[in-house]
Amino acid sequence: MKKILLLLFCSTSLFAQDDLLDMLEKEDAKKTTFTQATFKGTRLINGQTVETLAKQHLNFWISHRFGSINSGFIDNFLGLDEAKIRLGLEYSLTDKWLLGAGRSTIEKTYDFYSKYKVLAQSNKMPITATLYGGMTTNTMPTGYTTSSGNVMSYQNNLQRQSYFGQLLIARKFSDKLSLQLMPTVLHNNKSESIYLDNNLLSMGFGGRYKLTNRLSVSAEYYKNIVDKEDYEEGAGVAYPYQDSFSVGFDIETGGHVFQLHLTNSRGMTEKHFIGQTLGTWGAGDIFYGFNMARTFSLEPKKK
Amino acid sequence: MKQLFLLALLFIGFQSKAQLFMTTNGEVSFFSKTPMEDIDAVNKSVSSIINTATNEVAVQMRITNFVFPNKLMQEHFNENYLESEKFPSATFKGKIKESVNLTVAGTYPITASGSATIHGVTRPIELKGTIVSTGSTLALTCQFEVKLVDYKVDIPKIVFAKIAEVIKISSKMNYTKK
Repeated sequence: MKKILLLLFCSTSLFAQDDLLDMLEKEDAKKTTFTQATFKGTRLINGQTVETLAKQHLNFWISHRFGSINSGFIDNFLGLDEAKIRLGLEYSLTDKWLLGAGRSTIEKTYDFYSKYKVLAQSNKMPITATLYGGMTTNTMPTGYTTSSGNVMSYQNNLQRQSYFGQLLIARKFSDKLSLQLMPTVLHNNKSESIYLDNNLLSMGFGGRYKLTNRLSVSAEYYKNIVDKEDYEEGAGVAYPYQDSFSVGFDIETGGHVFQLHLTNSRGMTEKHFIGQTLGTWGAGDIFYGFNMARTFSLEPKKK
Repeated sequence: MKQLFLLALLFIGFQSKAQLFMTTNGEVSFFSKTPMEDIDAVNKSVSSIINTATNEVAVQMRITNFVFPNKLMQEHFNENYLESEKFPSATFKGKIKESVNLTVAGTYPITASGSATIHGVTRPIELKGTIVSTGSTLALTCQFEVKLVDYKVDIPKIVFAKIAEVIKISSKMNYTKK
């Protein structure tokens, strides 16, 4: 009996200030706390991140890819004499769902896409998962020669369409490190050559590491799953396309994100940078480029 | 004799539980006013406990639960200013100085002295507020000011003009018996 009494005294005197905080901590741990800002922007380098925009926000993307660094100093000022550009807009219908469209110089391409955040990382969920899909339309005159040397002619507009889909899976491991996986499917209604498959599967790997609060370094790699030997046997020439690899810096200032990078891909839509990367890093086919995003809030002001 | 002890145990046990008043959806909002821009944010899931036997108070809030009218501001607040990944919570623990019995219905102006931890920095603080008690519930309102430099919150010079150096904080909490 005495023991019970002693126990009782102990238990009542335990409510010191720190224990009150401990109780609150336990209470708070039950609540869901979502991880914020896995990446700075909705785009990693060429490809997308799991990030969507806050509801009713508009993002304006301006992207440039200059000529290759090995294109000569006199001839092309190391590539800076010329640039391929993409202009794009993204608008978020909800905090999880956005729609986007853009126009690229390369193959006079229009792109349309949608992105939906399915899972959000929190203290109860280890990852963020986002579905991303869209299409591109090539508006080149029929019978043009592609950068790989094939002649493309279109019999109808349906042949000009390509489609892409990605499942983006990311985890913010710490306040500095975030990594992302991007399994990808790509489908061209018409391929450049009868020996090229209309479908392409690719596995993307990406990530960022924050150097300071406003500066981070990022990288992106797409490993294409293709049977090159099969192509070479049929076509009699080497497989023209390479895997895409890019590294860069993200600088964030208020409502802007600046992304400066080096990449062996010149295209800025999935069809181009995953499916049609011609250059290799080893041969010096490196393009300097930048993306710039400006976010506008179109939310009606409260009060 | 045994029954008496058990009765006493039951009684004391009950009483020690009844001493705690708690909330998990208290509100804390802050306001920063400069000629350039007014910024306000509110956190509606603040947890707090008052022990009416000892008049001790504890408050805890998750930094990520502050909602801003502008989502970009919210991201900057978490990423760059309060660094919520490193310092996820802000807390206060302290004791009400006045010897009041909050379980008796009435309105009590109170002063709580203790320490506040914001952005990983703990400093002594004294808060003045009012508690309205109905006996079974407590309603606390409190206003105070916080200097950003005190808690090592770094505001870059470019945005300095947009964020006030002293932030007004107000809180409103409704406690129920736990």
